[in-house]
Amino acid sequence: MDRDNIVWKVAGAAGEGIMSTGLLFSKTCARHGWYIFDYTEYPSLITGGHNTYQVHAAKHPVFSQNLNVDVLAAINKDGLDFHLEELAANSVVLYDGQDDSINISEYRIKGKAIDLPMVELARDVGGKELMGNNVALGASIYLFGLDLNLLEEVISDVFGDKGKEVVDLNKKAASIGFQYMAQKTRPILKVEKQPDVKHLTLTGNEAVCLGALAGGLQFYAAYPMTPSSSVLHYLAACAKKTPTQIVVKHAEDEISAANMACGAAFAGTRAMVGTSGGGFCYMVEALGLCGVAELPVVFFEAMRPGPALGLPTWTAQGDLNFVLSASHGEFPRFVLAPGDAQEAFDIAKKSMELAEKYQTPVILLSDKYLAESRHTFKLDQTVFQNARFGLDFNPQIDDSGFYPRYELTDTGISKRSIPGFGWGPHLANSYTHTKYGLSSEESSDRKNQVDKRFRKMDLMTGEIPPQFWDVDLDAKITFISFGSTKGSLLAAKQILKKDNIPVSILNLSWLWPFPKDQVKKVIESSRNVVVIEGNYLGQLAGLIAQETGVMIKERYHRFDGRPFYPEEIVTFVKNFKA
Amino acid sequence: MQELVQTKKEVYPYNPTWCPGCGDFAIWASIKKGIEGTGSPREKIAIFYDVGCSGDMADFLAYWGFHTLHGRALPTAVGAKLANHDLKVVIVIGDGGCYGEGGTHFLNLMRGNHDITVIVHNNHRYSLTTGQMSPTTDKGTKTKSTPEGSVEEPLNPIAISLTNHASFVAREFAPDIPRLAQRITEGIGHIGFSIIDVLQPCPVFNPVQNHEWYRQRMVKLEELGHNPNDRKAAWNQVMRDDDKLPIGLFFQESKPAYHEQVSELSQSPLVNHSIETVNLSALIKEFE
Repeated sequence: MDRDNIVWKVAGAAGEGIMSTGLLFSKTCARHGWYIFDYTEYPSLITGGHNTYQVHAAKHPVFSQNLNVDVLAAINKDGLDFHLEELAANSVVLYDGQDDSINISEYRIKGKAIDLPMVELARDVGGKELMGNNVALGASIYLFGLDLNLLEEVISDVFGDKGKEVVDLNKKAASIGFQYMAQKTRPILKVEKQPDVKHLTLTGNEAVCLGALAGGLQFYAAYPMTPSSSVLHYLAACAKKTPTQIVVKHAEDEISAANMACGAAFAGTRAMVGTSGGGFCYMVEALGLCGVAELPVVFFEAMRPGPALGLPTWTAQGDLNFVLSASHGEFPRFVLAPGDAQEAFDIAKKSMELAEKYQTPVILLSDKYLAESRHTFKLDQTVFQNARFGLDFNPQIDDSGFYPRYELTDTGISKRSIPGFGWGPHLANSYTHTKYGLSSEESSDRKNQVDKRFRKMDLMTGEIPPQFWDVDLDAKITFISFGSTKGSLLAAKQILKKDNIPVSILNLSWLWPFPKDQVKKVIESSRNVVVIEGNYLGQLAGLIAQETGVMIKERYHRFDGRPFYPEEIVTFVKNFKA
Repeated sequence: MQELVQTKKEVYPYNPTWCPGCGDFAIWASIKKGIEGTGSPREKIAIFYDVGCSGDMADFLAYWGFHTLHGRALPTAVGAKLANHDLKVVIVIGDGGCYGEGGTHFLNLMRGNHDITVIVHNNHRYSLTTGQMSPTTDKGTKTKSTPEGSVEEPLNPIAISLTNHASFVAREFAPDIPRLAQRITEGIGHIGFSIIDVLQPCPVFNPVQNHEWYRQRMVKLEELGHNPNDRKAAWNQVMRDDDKLPIGLFFQESKPAYHEQVSELSQSPLVNHSIETVNLSALIKEFE
């Protein structure tokens, strides 16, 4: 097997600790100085149903999950039944032969099946049935030649706050799995620790949280909705740990959350809300309010397949058109879609700044695949500086007795007086208004204020950074994608490189204002362009056509809730006929 | 005493657009007088207006103001209060916005004892949209949207507030400006969720419930010897068997407001904290 690259999967019933078992394995790999990419699948259930956690780890950067698995830890019968296709000739599957529902002779298994009495061994060390996961974990650590001490260190760190007893029990279960395997077979690999390499690993959602905090987030309001809820959980849990004060409010619904953020922004704090597409539907009127009242609010939207309840715990890129045009009426907005955890951090931080600088809403678009997958992450610094924009703490009123909050300016950006700071009364108004914010139905006020708001677009467009452009001059195919598809494409490119098939990748993280010139240039300089995106209609392709006038006919869509698999992209490339 | 900009008639650009005889004029005057009565510096007052005839007051008062979306004045106000709890936060809202469109917010934010003062202009109609039934319209009332008479029983905001943990619950009559103003002063002074349901005549779309109609029914709680610390007595008053409409302070209790129970806000308002330097070191360890 590829000695620099391993794929491990644990599969079992929801509610049986699959996620935490996966996290322990992943962190152990990361502490060996290896890069990781973790991908989880689970149903919208608390118990029952089928859960998986895949860790793809390598000495070199990894970007994506893999179709094939080197070691499969099948915690129950479903763990075997659903994943045999993923095994290759040199794969190993661990199963519990004492599980009466499993008759191993009925299976045609590629690779080697090893009977590991997970439950019995867990009981031997005083653990409950669920601790069988840890036995399988210890066995897996052995098979890959990973360092058991590092796993034990991870167990101490992750379960430390649950007390010594829990930590010890987890360690014992892992250790007995490790030893049992040592008596039965040889490791399939020896994963060497890369000295001096220290990786952080986190999910896309955690990266969004850290980025927003670095960008001065002060107020976060949300109503739980998968796959955005972990942002609420993380921020609520860390509210006390952050050096800057933040208030986290679980509101009674998404409408309330979004309107609370409007109030918090009006009062001068940096505010964000988080939800998925369904919750964003509720927030849309407040989004428009931010547009007309020029309030800086960041809307984090982690997509899942819709419409309506759709597939709650799966991934999609089907809300692009929706967020681009959400709300009645017209106003400037940013729509930004990070492609990985690193970009999620940077763009979340930038979003907090852009919202305040341009006094307009920013939509931070993610999806389940990015939100909940765990990535290797690098933070070069831990102290961040934030400039403030447009706040007027010494406001002057004019003869009207009001502060000209919506004064017509060349840039379209006016200064903001903040309630409680000096005397600069104005009205933040959902109605069309004058420069003081007072309601007006005059044609001139309407026209002037709409013009003013859209004048911001010039400077907003100037903010567009170079988009991710991984070019190979010999490329037969240039893929254009957005958001989380970046990882699958990079992984596919790694595989294709071995076959000497070059491809180019343009992954957009800025969707509005649209990086028209960059996209146009890439299209013009490419031999064949394929737009790859996680929806049915080809929403990105439509946007490209709208903005560049070029209708790209070659498309690769996926809308079944699953992310793009690099192996499938490789097949697509190999079969591609221009 | 503060200087009220709106008293300078020569500079203020807007005059009220309410119909002659509208209760909003009196509520408008009472709000001005009531805020004045608190003695709070004007820069520390922020008013959140809902949509409707009541919310149109946004253009007729010179304070920090926010004319919010329909039904959403409460959460918007709560967001601002959490961002800066030094502000005195007042809400101007109608029966449609507070009890209908924004009913969820009314029910839930009340439970948190957010320190906001909700002044509900309750005229039992949707009047800005020209006279449909509202959540407080009596059953059987013929309106534009219920030509055969409304089917629903009216919502009882006082009973709901008493039951659902509001810490200051009052009802007043719009035309009685001195009394309403005094109640508004008390409501703003009260630390916690205060609701003042204001009975408001609407001569255009609700001619039946006119001044005379109210005067025949209203009784003053203080004249009934009501003790506003007694929740059960308050229930008895609001659920009276006769046709009397008690006005006054039904209930008040002292308990911590929401922002007083958020440890992050214990030192100073959120907006006062600097975000210029953010150090994430303490958060990184768990990702190793």
